[in-house]
Amino acid sequence: MAIRVNPKLIEEIEKYGAEDVTKCYHCGNCSAVCPHSREPFVFPRKSMRNLQMGLEDKLKGSLEPWLCYYCGQCSEQCPRDAEPGETMMSLRRWLTSVYDFTGISQTFYRSWKAELFTILVVTVLTGIGFFLYGFSRGDIRTYGGPTAFLPSSTIHVFDWIMGGVLAALLAINAGRMWWFMVGRQKGLRIPFFAYLRKAYLLPLHFFTQKRYAMCERKGPWLVHLALMLSYFAMLVLIMFFLHEMQAGPRIDWRFHAVGYVASLGLIGATLYALHGRWRKRQTQYRHSHESDWIFLVLLLAVAVTGVLQHVFHRAGWDVAANVTYVVHLMGVVPMLVLEVPFSKWAHMVYRPLAMYFADLLVLARADKQNDASAELARKAGVA
Amino acid sequence: MRTGIFIVSAAPDQRVNLQAVATYAANLPAVETVTLLDPGARIDPVTMAETIRRDRLERVVLAGDSPGHLKPVFTRAMALAEGDPDEIRLASFREHGGVVDNPTERAKSIVACAVYGVPFPLAAVPGNTPIHPATLVIGGGVAGIQAALEIADAGKKVYLVERSGTIGGHMAMFDKTFPTLDCAACILTPKMVSVGQHQDITLHTYAEVSHVSGQPGAYRVRIRKKARRVNESACVVCHACSEVCPVRVSSEFDSGISERKAIYMPFPQAVPNAYLIDEASCVYVASGGQKCGACAKKCPKNCIDLDQADQTIELEVGQIVLATGYDVLDARKIQRYGYGTLPNVLTALEFERLTNASGPTGGRIVTQTKKYNKRKQRDEWVFDPDGTPPRRVAIIHCVGSRDSNYNAYCSRVCCMYSLKFAHLVKEKIPGVECHEFYIDMRAFGKGYEEFAERIKAEGTFVVRGRTASVTEHEGQLIVKGEDIVHDRIIDFPVDMVLLAVGLVPAAGARELAGLFGLFLEEEGWFHELNYNGDPTDTERGGIFVAGACQAPKDIPDTVAQASAVAAGVLKNISRGRGLGSRSELGLSEIEAHAKKIVSL
Repeated sequence: MAIRVNPKLIEEIEKYGAEDVTKCYHCGNCSAVCPHSREPFVFPRKSMRNLQMGLEDKLKGSLEPWLCYYCGQCSEQCPRDAEPGETMMSLRRWLTSVYDFTGISQTFYRSWKAELFTILVVTVLTGIGFFLYGFSRGDIRTYGGPTAFLPSSTIHVFDWIMGGVLAALLAINAGRMWWFMVGRQKGLRIPFFAYLRKAYLLPLHFFTQKRYAMCERKGPWLVHLALMLSYFAMLVLIMFFLHEMQAGPRIDWRFHAVGYVASLGLIGATLYALHGRWRKRQTQYRHSHESDWIFLVLLLAVAVTGVLQHVFHRAGWDVAANVTYVVHLMGVVPMLVLEVPFSKWAHMVYRPLAMYFADLLVLARADKQNDASAELARKAGVA
Repeated sequence: MRTGIFIVSAAPDQRVNLQAVATYAANLPAVETVTLLDPGARIDPVTMAETIRRDRLERVVLAGDSPGHLKPVFTRAMALAEGDPDEIRLASFREHGGVVDNPTERAKSIVACAVYGVPFPLAAVPGNTPIHPATLVIGGGVAGIQAALEIADAGKKVYLVERSGTIGGHMAMFDKTFPTLDCAACILTPKMVSVGQHQDITLHTYAEVSHVSGQPGAYRVRIRKKARRVNESACVVCHACSEVCPVRVSSEFDSGISERKAIYMPFPQAVPNAYLIDEASCVYVASGGQKCGACAKKCPKNCIDLDQADQTIELEVGQIVLATGYDVLDARKIQRYGYGTLPNVLTALEFERLTNASGPTGGRIVTQTKKYNKRKQRDEWVFDPDGTPPRRVAIIHCVGSRDSNYNAYCSRVCCMYSLKFAHLVKEKIPGVECHEFYIDMRAFGKGYEEFAERIKAEGTFVVRGRTASVTEHEGQLIVKGEDIVHDRIIDFPVDMVLLAVGLVPAAGARELAGLFGLFLEEEGWFHELNYNGDPTDTERGGIFVAGACQAPKDIPDTVAQASAVAAGVLKNISRGRGLGSRSELGLSEIEAHAKKIVSL
């Protein structure tokens, strides 16, 4: 089969943040030092090689970038300052845009101006929408009850519609990811039963990120876990218990205790990451793509406005609470609608999937080898 | 001739003030345009041809750190503009003195020469000075020995100054040379003896240069000769003194893998063949003459003078040869290889001594054994001649070389000596497995590639991929790396690891450069006048560089360069005149000179 080479692949990946890929002289130090690099998925050197050779198609189906957690050891020890860790990060961004069938992701990653502009447009539209809706049937001076400016039942329905659309988008992209990594590989048979048997890996990796814990430094994993669990807790509270969260003025501690811890987790982890990217002391924070900043700032804004509207409401300043609520939604909507399927957030689906596929591929290859040796044994028996 | 100058900025940390150069160049005669080119700018011949045609340029000067890569583009542009393609002149700052005191002034003169169309070395010729016929050689390694012998064999006086107690340098420590596997000592020791006995060579060992004055052709050099405390000519090397000496310190000559006494011979074939006392470890010296003194009492020839003081000698010489050699990189800096903490992780020099028949194990390659040291009352890892030989040896290439975290340059010799090590290991230990972990196999010399093939044919495994770490697991060394060709991560148990450590400039090179007014390159090697044309001369008249102090090089290259230096020295002596210092030539002098050449 002919292999198509894209000589401009490195230039393309550079738009996603990679630098110095051409400097690599393949000593293999990075692959040997990486705690995740195990056969058959040996990286990052091989990915650097594929990039240098312009093997776009091969890279499209590579799951190695998703196995990397960017602890930065490879970049620290790299004798050529070729930044393999940052290359893997850029490949993740690029792969996100490859999986995305709409092409929006590609536009966002290549142009932060386009991303920012779209976010602003969605923000403004969201604001206008909710204000119009609120004034059409509610009272800005009331936060809860039947005349509420933004009643929790309405928001609840809105949440579920948005969640459904996002899930559909992500499912399509995840399907494409499956196709590039597994589906299109000829001669690779993965029994349906294996998919089921290994399905437990998806929630396992999603909730624990246990591979991240394999990195030598455990700090980044803990911060990431805190951020992710806080986010997830918030999501559950909003999707299922929005009414209880908004009811007042009494504080329902069953839900609010979780909410407060999660808010602290979100704000703390976001500030930690922002500070790290600002100071550039840790290797994984030395390079920041514009999308990283947008993501963090948006998340922080959403978390802070969320806390504020809650505080205003409990303090009895319902007008302020309602206005802040709309501002909060003006952050939440673009964050979810744009960042989840098309940008950094998408990795919450792709990472566990990649690890799931990795196990399946190892299984399939072992089967294939067994088949081959059985075949050999049969032939030898015949002879 | 209508001239256009294009200045290319290269490195972001330009030491040359390009703006100043541009301003200066604009005022040179016939210069029509001066353009500062962006380093990343894409320059295509068609638009350049348009520029050349528009400005009616007849000559183009490309100036910059090393602007040679642009010459083809401009040659094509000139041809397209129907001009003379031969009129593309290069003004390379790096080639003609990138590391001088005032690089901007030098850059201006380089550009001026290019504008006049005169090669820089032709215009920047310092005046002649009379030459004193004696020569000083600093450094008694193979480079210094070769240069001293070549000059002295021509009947000219040579002073050879060596910092340690004997001449011989690193080569004396080696077991074999590559690629011929000759015995290193068999080549070197006859030369050492010749130096010791030569009527025209005065040898000052245990001595260092402390002060230099004068000018090219007539230098006054002050040498501080440390107290040897043993009379060189009277000592008969009966070993009686070292037998009674109570002090044990690690031996420099054995690279620390054995011990010596405070009164010692560096090695049996040392020249001068006499004992010396290391004042840093001698009990008598440390106690101010209160304690010990056993050696002096025991000496049958009464040649030990424990109270001898340092001496200062003044020399008058015409020319000076620097042959100060190199040190090996301190492998402790690279913690992930475990050197200094794990036993049986050895540096190249340690292995040279281990495998050398004159080494502590008599040439048996063994792993270290734990022994109880009664004096220090603790367990120590030592090389015991009866120790167990390793069954598996890993040799790691490029340790601290080609690595932006340590030395960015290639140390040139490590690949070849590593292959030699593999041969020695396999030759001496039956059934041993030997693995070389390399990035690129740099076998660049005569017979080197063949040598590499031979070693592979002997059954040494060469693994493409540099090792990332050496660790210990239950007393077993584990080497971890990527085998690039076979697409594997290797976790590899071995008994011994040899680190092919790179070369670094010798300690004290910076001070020496300061004494002589020489220039050091970024990495600390001595800067030669012109890498291609005058590889042994320096910016200072009458001062030459030979061997590894100029850049890492192997023995054949070192010897060749040392002989080349001798030719330069002898040329000046036979003419009775030599060139002065180029570093003292001013901009106006060079420009005037260039003008004069053009008008001829």
